[in-house]
Amino acid sequence: MSNLPSRRQALFGATLSFSALWTTLSLPSVAMAQTTLSWSPKVLTQAQAQVLEVAVDLIIPATDTPGAREAGVARFIDRAMGNFYDPGQVKTMRDGLDRMQADAEAAYGAAFVSLGAGRQTELLTRYDAEATRQPLAHFFALIRHATLLGFFTSETGATKTLRYDPFPGEYRGCVPLKEIGRAWAT
Amino acid sequence: MANLNTRARQTNTYDAIVVGSGITGGWAAKELTEKGLKTLILERGPMVRHLEDYPTATMNPWETKYPGGKLPAAEMKAHYPVQARTGYALTEYSRHFFVRDDEHPYTETQRFDWIRGYHVGGRSLLWARQTYRHSPMDFEANAREGVGVDWPIRYHDLAPWYDHVERFIGVSGQSEGLAQLPDGHFQPPMEMNCVEKDLKVRVEAKIPDRRITIGRVAHLTAPTEEQLAQGRGKCQNRNLCIRGCPFGAYFSSNSSTLPAAERTGNLTLRSGSIVTSLILDEKKGKATGVRVLDEASGQEVEFYADVVFLCASALNTAWIMLNSTSTRFPNGFGNDSDQVGRNIMDHHLGVGAQAEAPGYEDKYYSGRRPNGIYVPRFRNLGDRASARSDYLRGFGYQGGAGRPSWERGLNAAGFGADRKAALSQPGPWMVRLGGFGEILPYADNRMTLNRALKDKHGLPTLTFDVSLRENEIAMRKDMRLAAMEMLDAAGFKNVVGADQGYGPGLGIHEMGTARMGRDPKTSVLNAQNQVHACKNVYVTDGAAMTSASCVNPSLTYMALTARAVDHAVSSRRKGEL
Repeated sequence: MSNLPSRRQALFGATLSFSALWTTLSLPSVAMAQTTLSWSPKVLTQAQAQVLEVAVDLIIPATDTPGAREAGVARFIDRAMGNFYDPGQVKTMRDGLDRMQADAEAAYGAAFVSLGAGRQTELLTRYDAEATRQPLAHFFALIRHATLLGFFTSETGATKTLRYDPFPGEYRGCVPLKEIGRAWAT
Repeated sequence: MANLNTRARQTNTYDAIVVGSGITGGWAAKELTEKGLKTLILERGPMVRHLEDYPTATMNPWETKYPGGKLPAAEMKAHYPVQARTGYALTEYSRHFFVRDDEHPYTETQRFDWIRGYHVGGRSLLWARQTYRHSPMDFEANAREGVGVDWPIRYHDLAPWYDHVERFIGVSGQSEGLAQLPDGHFQPPMEMNCVEKDLKVRVEAKIPDRRITIGRVAHLTAPTEEQLAQGRGKCQNRNLCIRGCPFGAYFSSNSSTLPAAERTGNLTLRSGSIVTSLILDEKKGKATGVRVLDEASGQEVEFYADVVFLCASALNTAWIMLNSTSTRFPNGFGNDSDQVGRNIMDHHLGVGAQAEAPGYEDKYYSGRRPNGIYVPRFRNLGDRASARSDYLRGFGYQGGAGRPSWERGLNAAGFGADRKAALSQPGPWMVRLGGFGEILPYADNRMTLNRALKDKHGLPTLTFDVSLRENEIAMRKDMRLAAMEMLDAAGFKNVVGADQGYGPGLGIHEMGTARMGRDPKTSVLNAQNQVHACKNVYVTDGAAMTSASCVNPSLTYMALTARAVDHAVSSRRKGEL
């Protein structure tokens, strides 16, 4: 447990340089996302939804399989804010998204969505550390939880990042992991 | 007018009435109709047709209304505060098969978890399908130890009926040749996974009194011609059973007994029919039928028959009996002994151990086996080696090994590509063993009729006062320690034992409220499940149980039901009812 942060930092180092490169290449699409959400938020404001859209894709980015943005996770969370989360949780998450915007402007003088992935990741790393200290009360713990849940139960997440088989037929109790390749979605 | 009444009485008259359509009601209906009796089955809840009324059976995870299919906390709190205590069963996928607690109130003198489904098929749709025979020692224990009253039957009385039921429902399992867990008619056993297989080998080598077998479960693994002809098929290992099975692969009233009864042409099924009391002919000393509150119209309707089977579940059957007062039975139907509503038993659970099983990282499994492993009882088997000085009876374990998937990451720190990659792979192998312990019958573990608190129909409700005693509490310590001992013996890591607590009822095996016995002064039912004081009323659900054993009870309820029907039909033919 004690070596976990250092191990994560090391991994982040590798990820960061890759992400930075990727972000430079795809900056135009990030900028476009500010004006063209492909869905209409029901609970979040347009600005909050745009921050969330970027945040979920930082939490579960596109890699060899699609990420949370393509899986529609921000929309999933907006819908759950309307029909599932209690008012206190909704407020925590909305306030958190506003704070992300405010933090971005205070630190870099720019909107969260227009920061490079490196700076966005830096901010999220700070929230992630805070959330670890107060896992039930922190907005990032809620958003991270909702993002993972939304992603891994989405069709994209369940069938591409994981393996999904609605009708297995047989049960085989001892199979090389290589043969399955990924964790079962259900 | 007289004519009209006569005609109404005729249209509402059957050879037999069955109250309840769950696992025993379905069996009573099948056996009665197949033996030629015109049978009315009354169900308080709405209709659930096999296949047609399983709305969530093939839903994908991304098709839910709520995240992960979990119901909002506010809705759980408002409508399902008791049903929620299972912690797992009530979701968006299964909500329509559970009662709303706010519509079906009861009173808890001490915590009592009453988990219910009011609809055609009852909890036969929701059960965990574990299927075990009681053993000879289960039927003898009360007499030997001076606990409660003696069972008026022995294992050999029920054995042919266990055969009969197993052949029809289909039970997958492995014969083990153990006195404490009699073998039955099994379809091929389900497979253990790598870790379970090693657990079995290592534990059985190091602790000779332990046996690990695959769970015996009412799923078809090699359907018979008869089962295929019923439209039932082989288990597809989806493990979504609680939604209703589109393959009819597990046994339920809906997939099996009710269609069989319907095919005879002798069945009338009436849903939305709340039986409120038995009708007694005081002169003849016989029940003539039942009174029903018709849910839709709010009207009272009477139905008549030569014989009545109460199969409404242990607590509701006892409710009907307590609510059926008359000059002859001022304290409730057949309640001369004052035992109706007493001796509530369940199986106590929520205690055991878990561990990590390193060394199998390159192994996984395919398919979702709707079953686990089983450790048959190994305490107090009658020999010196297994005898305990601190408690009577024993317990079995249910459990299994598996690898958690992405859910393990929901509350963990970290995000990004590496996190995604990690969660796309299965987590470490975990092994769990959870005990199911026998609860002794205690006369003051009871339910009483509460006429002060009425439900939405204006009917009296129940008050429960049930608790564990020294015997169960001592057993729980052993349940935790013996599970840890087994996981340690297997060489697994981070073995953790825990007692997470248990509320009576949470085993969802409630029983004992109208026990069988030899003496009408101390029991409610005789050896044939007839009410001692009124022979044309049979009680064959969990209410009849004289002791609980530690094994899942549904198979015994079904066998008792089939046996009682056989008795009822031959007695009726001989004019003895």
